[in-house]
Amino acid sequence: MNTVFIVARKELIDLFRDRRTVLMGLLLMPILFPALILGAGSMAERKARTQLESTLELPVIGAEHAPNLIRFLRGQNIDAKPAPEDPDADVRAQTYDAVLRISPEFGERWRDSRSAEVELIYDSSRRDSQIPIARVRTAIEQYNRTLALLRSIDRGMSPEVLQPVRLARRDVATPESRRGTLLAFLPYLLILSSFLGGAYLVIDVTAGERERQSLEPLLATPAARAAIMSGKILAAICFGMLSLVLILAAFKISFAVAPGQMRLVHLSWQLLLQLLVVLLPMVLIGTTLLTLIAASVKSVKEAQSYMSVLMLLPIVPTVMLMVNPIKNQLWQFTVPFLAQNQLILRLVRSEIVTLAEWAVYLSTSFGLGLILWVLAARLYHRERLAISA
Amino acid sequence: MIEADHLHKTFQAKTGPVHAVRGVSFLARDGEITGLLGPNAAGKTTTLRMLYTLMSPDQGAVRVDGIDAHRDATAVRQRLGVLPDARNVYKRLTARENIAYFGRLHGLDDATIEQRITRLAEMLGIDFLDRRTEGFSQGQRTKTAIARALVHDPRNVILDEPTNGLDVMTTRSLRGFLQKLRGEGHCVIFSSHIMQEVAALCDRIVVIAGGEVKAIGTPDELRALTGESDLENVFVRLTGEASVA
Repeated sequence: MNTVFIVARKELIDLFRDRRTVLMGLLLMPILFPALILGAGSMAERKARTQLESTLELPVIGAEHAPNLIRFLRGQNIDAKPAPEDPDADVRAQTYDAVLRISPEFGERWRDSRSAEVELIYDSSRRDSQIPIARVRTAIEQYNRTLALLRSIDRGMSPEVLQPVRLARRDVATPESRRGTLLAFLPYLLILSSFLGGAYLVIDVTAGERERQSLEPLLATPAARAAIMSGKILAAICFGMLSLVLILAAFKISFAVAPGQMRLVHLSWQLLLQLLVVLLPMVLIGTTLLTLIAASVKSVKEAQSYMSVLMLLPIVPTVMLMVNPIKNQLWQFTVPFLAQNQLILRLVRSEIVTLAEWAVYLSTSFGLGLILWVLAARLYHRERLAISA
Repeated sequence: MIEADHLHKTFQAKTGPVHAVRGVSFLARDGEITGLLGPNAAGKTTTLRMLYTLMSPDQGAVRVDGIDAHRDATAVRQRLGVLPDARNVYKRLTARENIAYFGRLHGLDDATIEQRITRLAEMLGIDFLDRRTEGFSQGQRTKTAIARALVHDPRNVILDEPTNGLDVMTTRSLRGFLQKLRGEGHCVIFSSHIMQEVAALCDRIVVIAGGEVKAIGTPDELRALTGESDLENVFVRLTGEASVA
């Protein structure tokens, strides 16, 4: 056991004397992540606000056939303007968000109290135009309802005849669950930084040390190889957890000073602590997995070539959940990445995580870490590991 | 005392198996310096790696002070001070920290480590203990590595080409150091590909070529054996036959 601490202490001293690497490793993420999230968040909010509140300029074909509708739209802050020649091509080319076409018979049918046709040309695959389109549709529906109401009264009918069913909405989302949607990106960032946060350190202390030709004397000492390896893993875990603490602290501070809706996000110390507990096994799994890789490859370069694949792993559950959302089930807490993803989302949404779920999660994830540790320790005993050249 | 008993080692290479060491046997006694002499790729490093338990022989046995290396590798390692072929030091640690790290891994307490460092520094002429090893010369690095290998005061010392890349002055002081170790009754094995160096220092020379022992004896015995008086010719005669065979 003593050997573990001796090795861990040496690796941490060695690492922290490499000032620039440590500064980049520890501070880059805590600065970058909040900037990214807050920046993207406030940009989205500003955009939504401008799109909602500014005057929407809508090209209209055949505006002259429905002066009444055009006036109504102007009342809704939507200004008609002359239409382009080829509306389909212009919408597809993203020159306009949407184009409204009013049929020439509009006036005639309107006067006869028959359904008059208007056509909205838009591109549903463009996220950016969702708000303007929703505004136009709402406005036209409103016009529709107002007109129907007036006509029914005119004919001595109750307006309720026209509305056999009335839909009332009640949104049960709590402020916490709303902030959950605001933080959908958080699990990925946290899982990625815990999984690979100490990656270069882990690769460096095994494959790097061998390349620098100092592993052979180390392995020729009477210290047990499993203990030497565990010391290196312990050092990497300490570094990984320190970097996570800094990242979480950065999030807490930046949400406290953020503008608008972001300020609703309150990360309590208790929540941060729970997140650290969720992420600790992830740090262990990442570190042991990388040790396993670093001990099996021939060079640092070869070890690094695995990184791009490893970086994709944490995205897999996020993408799967996006395509195929599933309800919470106990088995999910046994699947690495998916388990962390679900747990972080639930903690952030202030939902209860039961004791059984904690137990299943912690035992399976630490179990996986242990299995990887045993496999890595086996590789550490191979003759080839010590031989540098 | 280190005993090599019919050691064999084969590696799998792309071109097929390479039989690097073929039945090497010799005995290195306490209070003697034993030289392992041979050209490049003769199997010296592989033989030494088997002696310090980093590799296990396919056949044969290694005994250190009578302890079988296969049966109790840890006990053997405790009795060995090793300067391997790959012997870099940690560049962000000072020389003192480098040596102390290995002292701790050997289970020594801080006071003992401090005492040993002072002694080794004096013996090796290390006056750069508290400088970080980044930027050290080859000689300074080797001295640090030797002090690191001997911090636990082992009975047996194995050095793989210790004079590689060292200038005349450093080589000379290293020679003096090895003679001091012999004087204290240590068993010293070192490998080299330079006949003169081995002859100047060793009580007994083991000539290896092509993975086999070609001759064992004192420098004078080897001269007599080959009928050559010039050391270089002795070396060429003994190892040249191997390349023909």
